[in-house]
Amino acid sequence: MALSEIEKKILQRLQSNLPLTHRPFLDIANELDLDEDLVIEKIKAMVEGKYVRRLAPIINTQAVGNSATLAAMQVPDDKIDDVAEVINGYSGVSHNYLRKGKNKELPLNIWFTMSAPTQEKLEENIKEIETRTGLDVRMLPTTKKFKIGVKFKIYRKG
Amino acid sequence: MTEDLDIKLIKYTQEGLPLTKTPYKDIADGVGMTEEEVIDRLKALLENGKIRRLAASIAHRKIGINSNAMTVWKVSQDKVEECGKIMAAFEEVTHCYERPTFPGWEYNVFTMIHGYTDEECENVINSIKEKTGLDDYVMLYSEKEFKKVGVRI
Repeated sequence: MALSEIEKKILQRLQSNLPLTHRPFLDIANELDLDEDLVIEKIKAMVEGKYVRRLAPIINTQAVGNSATLAAMQVPDDKIDDVAEVINGYSGVSHNYLRKGKNKELPLNIWFTMSAPTQEKLEENIKEIETRTGLDVRMLPTTKKFKIGVKFKIYRKG
Repeated sequence: MTEDLDIKLIKYTQEGLPLTKTPYKDIADGVGMTEEEVIDRLKALLENGKIRRLAASIAHRKIGINSNAMTVWKVSQDKVEECGKIMAAFEEVTHCYERPTFPGWEYNVFTMIHGYTDEECENVINSIKEKTGLDDYVMLYSEKEFKKVGVRI
């Protein structure tokens, strides 16, 4: 199923905040010149079709008191899947990727993000991953944020 | 500190708002608050930044945004501010952060670039190079996704 124009329109709008009103979907429907029932029905279909992961509050993990970091590892090819599984086992891990440099080779190839209730717990988890995998983990926490948006343009240019 | 009622509200809603005509009323009924209180608390959480957005998280690959290039840049300390702002201004740059360096790792500015194709990402990278004058960078494309979930509490 490809998204229809109406669905794209709704999806584009849903990437910005939902109105905090009694009937938020009615407000969106009015903005987009659509019908409220149709808007709700289309959102349900896009959630079911997994185009939308969730329509929910997106938490700033650090602002609610958690500590977080990006972490990187240099993992030999034959251990990648095992190491990835160890990392995935931590509930605070939200992203975990195998990455390869395109214009230049880099030794670091496994990249993941982890958050934990405290800095201490975060460091403890990272140490534990090092012990369990026998490999070093480099912590690369954010020192300055210039942008965190993740709003995608649903429509292609040109 | 985040109040217990805020935590309760976030926990109740973080998997998804009710897709009904009156979602806040339905949340209120579920957590034992009034609709007004739910709306006021969500407003406050957005204002104080504990919630970044009350919005849809999109499965970008599913809608065709298949390319994601984490591009790391070596930027001299006195240029970080200026370059970070230039990079962040691109629509395709969804995240832009400064991060620490260590021996053997000199790339201090990270940009996450999303596009429909690798070419689209690389056009952005070329524009960044032109505008900033930077030339030491590495495009790290994802080869395999082991995990990708939203942050929960």
